[in-house]
Amino acid sequence: MNKINCEDVLMAKMAELDAEKPELSGEQINLHLKHCENCHTEIEQFLNADTLLKRQARNQQDLDLWLAVEKHIGSHLKSEIGWRPFALLGALLVAFKLLEMLPDRDFGLAFKLVPLVFVIALFVLIRENPFRINAELVLER
Amino acid sequence: MDDSTVVKKCQNGEKDAFRTLVERYQRQAAGHAIAILFNREDALDAVQDAFIDAFKAINSFDKSRPFYPWFYVLLRNRCYKITAKKRETESVEDIEIFAPQSGLPSEERFALEKALHSLPKEDREIITLKYLDGLSYDELAENLQIRKGTVMSRLFYARRQLHAKLTGKLH
Repeated sequence: MNKINCEDVLMAKMAELDAEKPELSGEQINLHLKHCENCHTEIEQFLNADTLLKRQARNQQDLDLWLAVEKHIGSHLKSEIGWRPFALLGALLVAFKLLEMLPDRDFGLAFKLVPLVFVIALFVLIRENPFRINAELVLER
Repeated sequence: MDDSTVVKKCQNGEKDAFRTLVERYQRQAAGHAIAILFNREDALDAVQDAFIDAFKAINSFDKSRPFYPWFYVLLRNRCYKITAKKRETESVEDIEIFAPQSGLPSEERFALEKALHSLPKEDREIITLKYLDGLSYDELAENLQIRKGTVMSRLFYARRQLHAKLTGKLH
């Protein structure tokens, strides 16, 4: 007695037609199909739809999402920078000021340029250009 | 530059490397999202959000694996979130899943699009991935995060439904 039902056979046959390994053997499939008219009809219908679909190609969308994505991941990166680099800069500037206040000490002209070096280092670290014009800023009336 | 090199650069914090991935996959992703959502505006929102999700999670991505199947899972999640609070679906005339130059008469192509539109999104998704992207059962299982046996049965029922819609049995 053949206990394989039509749906199992159809699934297996479709897998076979898709060049995949079916869950039933070719012999089991053919044995069932030999006696089942309904399965024959359904396979023919499947092949018609299959031919129709195989002639299609996906419609290519013309788009550029980078600017929109960049806007969001840019803010994500900025939020990851956090407050630490700025706290460090503050601490270094305070230390510099304390050193500068020491009486009877003259560290020379180069020493006076140290805060500028700190600030430049900070902008390099956070990968920001302080001179960049933010085109998104709108004047408030 | 292959995906794993680009992903490695992204993991090292190079934002511009991520641009390569966006530009490489945005059209494919939009096509997939449109096939699920049948709404271009929602689909583009989903693609954009999925790329942002991908960027945030890029450090957890195993770069020895292909990028797109991993990204597709994120995209799918975004699409399904949108369907949960869905806007009005656009009329089927406004959406074209299939390329117009497919060689099929426009009435037949439209009938096929209409039949696809009337399928549940899961069926539409598996059929378009199978036929328009030519994914194998293993690839379908990976993209949809289901077992191969489930791919077989889901594909079978989806095709059966599609055929019924095409022949007008289920109007």
